[in-house]
Amino acid sequence: MNDAAPLILCADDDPDILALLTLRLERAGYRVVQAPDGDRALALARELSPAVVVLDVMMPRLSGTEVLAALRADAATRELRVILISARAQESDVEKGLAAGADAYLAKPFQAPELTDLVKRMVDGG
Amino acid sequence: MTSTPVSEPFPRRAQIAVPSRASIAYLAAGVLAIAVYYLIPADEQDVWYVVIGLSSVASVALGARRMENARLAWYLFAAGLSTSVIADAISGYYEIVLNRQPPVPSTTDGFYLATYPFLFGGIYLLLRERGAIRTRVAGLDALIVAVAAGTVQWVFFVEPNLHAQGSAVARGVEMAYPTFDLFLFIALVELVLSVGGRVVSYQLLVFGVLFWVIGDEIYGLSVDNYVVGGWVDSLWLGSYVLWGAAALDPSARMRVYRDRREVPRLTTARLVLLAGALLTSPAVILVEHFWRHHSPHPKAVAIGAAVVAVLVVSRFAGLVRAVEGARAAERSANQRLRELDRLKDEFVSTVSHELRTPLMSISGYVDLAREHADAESRTYLEIVERNAGRLLALVNDLLFVARIQSGALELELAEADLGELVGESVSSAQPHAATNGVELNLRLAGGATGVHVDRRRIGQVVDNLVSNAIKFSPEGGEVNLTVGAAEGFVRFEVSDHGIGIPEAERDRLFERFFRSSTALDRQISGTGLGLYISKAIVQAHGGRISASPAPGGGSSFLVELPARA
Repeated sequence: MNDAAPLILCADDDPDILALLTLRLERAGYRVVQAPDGDRALALARELSPAVVVLDVMMPRLSGTEVLAALRADAATRELRVILISARAQESDVEKGLAAGADAYLAKPFQAPELTDLVKRMVDGG
Repeated sequence: MTSTPVSEPFPRRAQIAVPSRASIAYLAAGVLAIAVYYLIPADEQDVWYVVIGLSSVASVALGARRMENARLAWYLFAAGLSTSVIADAISGYYEIVLNRQPPVPSTTDGFYLATYPFLFGGIYLLLRERGAIRTRVAGLDALIVAVAAGTVQWVFFVEPNLHAQGSAVARGVEMAYPTFDLFLFIALVELVLSVGGRVVSYQLLVFGVLFWVIGDEIYGLSVDNYVVGGWVDSLWLGSYVLWGAAALDPSARMRVYRDRREVPRLTTARLVLLAGALLTSPAVILVEHFWRHHSPHPKAVAIGAAVVAVLVVSRFAGLVRAVEGARAAERSANQRLRELDRLKDEFVSTVSHELRTPLMSISGYVDLAREHADAESRTYLEIVERNAGRLLALVNDLLFVARIQSGALELELAEADLGELVGESVSSAQPHAATNGVELNLRLAGGATGVHVDRRRIGQVVDNLVSNAIKFSPEGGEVNLTVGAAEGFVRFEVSDHGIGIPEAERDRLFERFFRSSTALDRQISGTGLGLYISKAIVQAHGGRISASPAPGGGSSFLVELPARA
């Protein structure tokens, strides 16, 4: 892991999932910062301006969608790439997520490559 | 004669019920006795009259002794009929011994008048026992009838006696009969409206009371023309006989279920009754005008009409209020249902979340563990992985079924080509088929295969049918897929040479959770939801899905979707 690797902010209230995503992203060559809830995710996103923000939708305090809205409302963070992940996988949920301004929506459970490929495309795409 | 107490609800509809043998026998004997009454000399008639009356008292008392409920009512009837028979006997004594009619008033009148409170007291008890007079509305109906009938009684029977000659007591007695008859009439109406039409015993009772009242009224209209042994006697004698038969019929012992409705239904009978009450006053005026040419009674008729009108209006006002109340209750119930529906959707969504998150952890970590596992552990982990996948498929299916059930199956319709959709499904199923050693053959039969469908959903149906066909095929088997057009439909057919479906089970194949015995015998895994879901999706598109045996064994599934116009 080196400092030059792109920084990914990963937020999920389920520690097992958070650890799993972190491991997979680190193996794919990224630096990962973890956030256990929405508040922390928003603070870290503002502070670190990560290359990609991976947000779980259902989190305590601030939900992923609320964090996303806050990021989009702020000029400093408006351009951040955001991936919403959620076990709510109905079309309406996906639509809501994309309408809220997410760049992508992944329904849990997903395979590790689905996430790492998506992140890679976003990072490479600039 | 059946002597066991009958304990069952009475028939819902009025029907011609046949009285029991005991009461038929008594009725027949009674009719014969009445016929005899008209054939014998006058003096013997009086004795015979009392004999018939006594037989009635005996029958009612006998019946009452056997009653298990409402016994007091029938004892009251027996008591009332007894006093009437005593009056008959006294009257007969005057006729035979003193050779004249009893004067008015006399002890006879005392006993006759004593009869009435017993009779309508008994009917009141019966009605109360049957739960027929518990509500305000039932009381109001009775009151309306009372006022209307009271108007008639006053005008034709009571008021004329006010100005009649004779002592005050004599006039009082003459007025007491029609007044008591009024009460008996109201009791009669209530009896008809509640239980009278439905139980043999009560039907007999209704006719008994009716004969009695009609006899009294005819007598009242033509007191001066009354002769002992005249035809009017047959009404009173008939009443005795009917009363006795009513008590002897075992249906009197029926434990009639109480009607638990708060408000009696506005049956045709009740409507006719209310209309009759409203029309009483004009009818009285017309009768007075055309038939009886003496003193009209404008005040009595006007007051009667006014009171009936007010009562009927409040009766209907109550009805309208009740209906409005019911509507409001219905509205709030609907609101609650919508709220429950919303809660259910939320529940389904939450369950979805709660089940999928751990499944993600399971498959994610199993994936990681496999990297470091030896060959044996890897086999185990693959089993874990496969079962996690099955669990996920089950969760998804259940969620989908929940959505179908709640009617929330939404389609995103778009133009598509069914041949293309099937082609995609076939290529993605190819690895699975290869693993199972099954060959997939897709044939495009030609014709326009354009459809207007939700691509994802129809893809789901095709995937399901193809994976079923692979699952049920033997190794080295072939699955034939055909896409074609026919009569406004685009058809897609999947045939396998697998284990087939027993004919008896073919109809149930598309039911929720149904699994064919052949699948169960071979322990082929599945939830029994795939075809149910497929059918729901196809039907949501206005299409059809069916199963049939494939030529040369195996089964064939046909999906037909409306062709794009």
